[in-house]
Amino acid sequence: AVARRRRQKAAGRGKRGPPAALLSPPSSEDEAPEEVSFGVAKEAAETQRKLVGEAVRRHRELLREKRRRRQELFAEQKKRKLLPEALLQELAAAPTDRTDCLVLSVVLGSITMLQGFTSLYLTRSKGNYTAVCLKDQSITGLHQQLAKDFLNTHLYGPDANRAQANDFFSLENKKNPVKKAAVQFVDKSWGEYKQLCRYYFMHMW
Amino acid sequence: MGEFEVHRVRFFGLVPAGVRCLACQPRGGRLALARTDGAVEVYNFAANYFQEKVIPGHETRSVEALCWAAGDRLFGAGLSGEITEYDLALLCVARSVDGCGGPIWSMAANSSGTQLAIGCEDGSVKLFQVVPGGIQFERNLDRRKGRILCLSWHPSDTHIAAGSIDFLRVFDVCSGQTVQRIMVNYHVLKVRRECIVWSIAFLSSGTVITSDSFGRVQFWDWQRGTLMESHTVSTSAVLSLAVSEKEDSIIVGTSTGATYQFQLLPVKMGSLEKRWVRTKPFQHHTHDVRAVAHSSTALISGGLDAQLVIRPLMEKMQKKGYDAALRKFTFPHRRLVSCARKARLLLFQFSQHLELWRLGSTDETGKDGEVLPLCRMPEHLVQLKSKGPEHIYCSCVSPCGSWVAYSTASRFHLYRVQYEGDGVSIKKVPKVPKLLLPAYQLQFSSDSGSLFVASARGSVHVLQLLEPGGCKHLHTFRPPSGSPEAVYLLASSADGHWLAAVGGDWAIHIYDLKCFKHHCTVPTYSCAVTALAIHPITNNLVIAYSDQQLFEFSIPEKQYTAWSRMVQNCGLHRVWLERDSPITHITFNPKNPSHILLHDIYMFCVLDKSLPLPDNSALLMNQSTLKQLPETARQRQLHAFKICKKFQPLLFADLLDENCLVMVERPIMDIKTQLPLPIQQKKFGT
Repeated sequence: AVARRRRQKAAGRGKRGPPAALLSPPSSEDEAPEEVSFGVAKEAAETQRKLVGEAVRRHRELLREKRRRRQELFAEQKKRKLLPEALLQELAAAPTDRTDCLVLSVVLGSITMLQGFTSLYLTRSKGNYTAVCLKDQSITGLHQQLAKDFLNTHLYGPDANRAQANDFFSLENKKNPVKKAAVQFVDKSWGEYKQLCRYYFMHMW
Repeated sequence: MGEFEVHRVRFFGLVPAGVRCLACQPRGGRLALARTDGAVEVYNFAANYFQEKVIPGHETRSVEALCWAAGDRLFGAGLSGEITEYDLALLCVARSVDGCGGPIWSMAANSSGTQLAIGCEDGSVKLFQVVPGGIQFERNLDRRKGRILCLSWHPSDTHIAAGSIDFLRVFDVCSGQTVQRIMVNYHVLKVRRECIVWSIAFLSSGTVITSDSFGRVQFWDWQRGTLMESHTVSTSAVLSLAVSEKEDSIIVGTSTGATYQFQLLPVKMGSLEKRWVRTKPFQHHTHDVRAVAHSSTALISGGLDAQLVIRPLMEKMQKKGYDAALRKFTFPHRRLVSCARKARLLLFQFSQHLELWRLGSTDETGKDGEVLPLCRMPEHLVQLKSKGPEHIYCSCVSPCGSWVAYSTASRFHLYRVQYEGDGVSIKKVPKVPKLLLPAYQLQFSSDSGSLFVASARGSVHVLQLLEPGGCKHLHTFRPPSGSPEAVYLLASSADGHWLAAVGGDWAIHIYDLKCFKHHCTVPTYSCAVTALAIHPITNNLVIAYSDQQLFEFSIPEKQYTAWSRMVQNCGLHRVWLERDSPITHITFNPKNPSHILLHDIYMFCVLDKSLPLPDNSALLMNQSTLKQLPETARQRQLHAFKICKKFQPLLFADLLDENCLVMVERPIMDIKTQLPLPIQQKKFGT
């Protein structure tokens, strides 16, 4: 039974004919489909496969990037939560009746190890600890980037069905009652740089 | 009348930024608009939809939501995580408050305008009190996972509906608790993608309307948590949604550029049961419509194609007239080009840089409509990049071409330009006088010896330009009774005697430059001034208003001229008054003192005061007819308005010398090909 199915599949593959994109509209159903050379059909299928492959690759890259950024964000947050290793070791080793000054100097010393922070506010309070407030610029930027990525993925990502400007506006030309050529070919008479400036003679009455 | 050599220029590569947010001022007749580059604009409906205020953008500013609160205060919020209040008199950011929730996706004011709710990236909805002088954090509502992309207050201010990814939530404002949570992608088969709720509205009946990334507009009963109606309007996302004040009409905008109107209509004639029906489809845009608004008489949409479209609703119009016409705005209502006539230079203003070009030339003449061969190409002389993230407010080049000035929100720059043979060198003028910035308009005097700087509170600074490259503050003019608004238009006379200035309050003040005194004020008119210029010989001030009216005021005599009174008595031609875009530049021909040259986006006109005015029965645009008539018949049909519509969209037109015009066009297609990608539109068979 498996062998039969395999043979059927093989037979079906051969009967499939040229890719669907090259078939003419079904309005002429009783006519045979358009004759398309094997070479052209093969090329079209290749390009399709390449485009899809690229889109999938890009999507995978995007997800990878997102995952990497998330990991970075979590690592940063974790780093901030824990006090530096040196300090922890120091505190663990120090006896409980140590003076404030030593703890303060240890905290100050280890603050230089923390990276990516721009402003620093130190407040002394009771007990043998010091509260420190840090305004973190890098996290704001990262959040903004994640937000922008979200927008880009959903508006311009692989599911978004976007068209190149040339294709989109050429479609307008072809839909018009008076058909025109594709956009990049229209008004070629102006030439490259000459397109930008022309001199007319004008008479006003 | 005249033969002209026309320099038709298309190398101004202006790409206006897309429209991102729209907000109708409740009971105010104004529309606030935010663009993708952070610029904020205000349009005045009563002044013929004139773009009366522009606050330029900023590199780091992204505006995701815009709303009016406390009457006439304008607030914006974006991905930087801050709530910004805009100062509409000083045209700058008044203050910013950190929302503390990460990027802000949405913001809405309650119906009394006393509170702002923001939807944040971290999934929280935060409430702020609008107080005099700023806003104050009030409290957080219940926070759950999922960024809040859109939110809407119930008209009674008791509840807030918020849209997220795959869910919509309803909060009780008093307790702050989530009282309902509805899954929005429940009804989609084979769901593998997330359903993004892009916009939401809360009706007083308790219906919550959502628009999502699957192209659906859905109506929910929030208390029962059920879907009442679902309409699939598009295969692409429906990005924006707005409800009319009466709650009987909705406009939605999609990614394909299509907009749709839904109306609440009775099921049968005379039946009490009503249903939402998709009534009118529109395709005014080519790119994503990320912002829509619904005024009492019109559907308004803004797209990433940089167009603002205002579609009056026929059933709301009292009479069929120009009021009911569709309005489409792509270009700003102010000049972005200045011209050094003698030096044949053009200065183009972009949002973050300036370009100085020298025009080419031709030696030939020809017949009407003929293209003449170039003998020298135009040259891109200098590109001046603005330092810093702020966008440019205004710029100007002196008539001799030796000075270039521009201003951003916090900096004013003046440059000396030297021409050595074919080369150009540009040197910054150090130590410019300290002025209150920004400058809203810059204008050099006709002898290139002074620079006039339009400033806040109606004041204008006069700076004297010194050789070889210096600048001194001479005087500051202020209107006699003060003004809270900034000056946005300037005009100076050719003889250096007079200076005219228009402020945001629409009052035109004329100052005497010889004795540094206020000379007179032009009688107030009920509309905004869009352009003004002083005649080089008669010192008559010609004024164009946003309702397309034209006035001529004699400065020495301090009264309107006889010609102006005649124009007002006869009335301007109906076709003239029904033009869609404002006049942005007025200039004169010194060799033909009776001529006034003016233009808008779609036409260039030479107004000949010595010819009779056309009445409504005559053809206004009659140049092509006149061309074909024999001489005697032509003389009988000549009238004052000589209009040419060959060059459009026209950003700037000026007379270089008595027979030479320059026209700066910006073809729409050149802009469209540089915008973000549009949605693919399949046409069967292509």
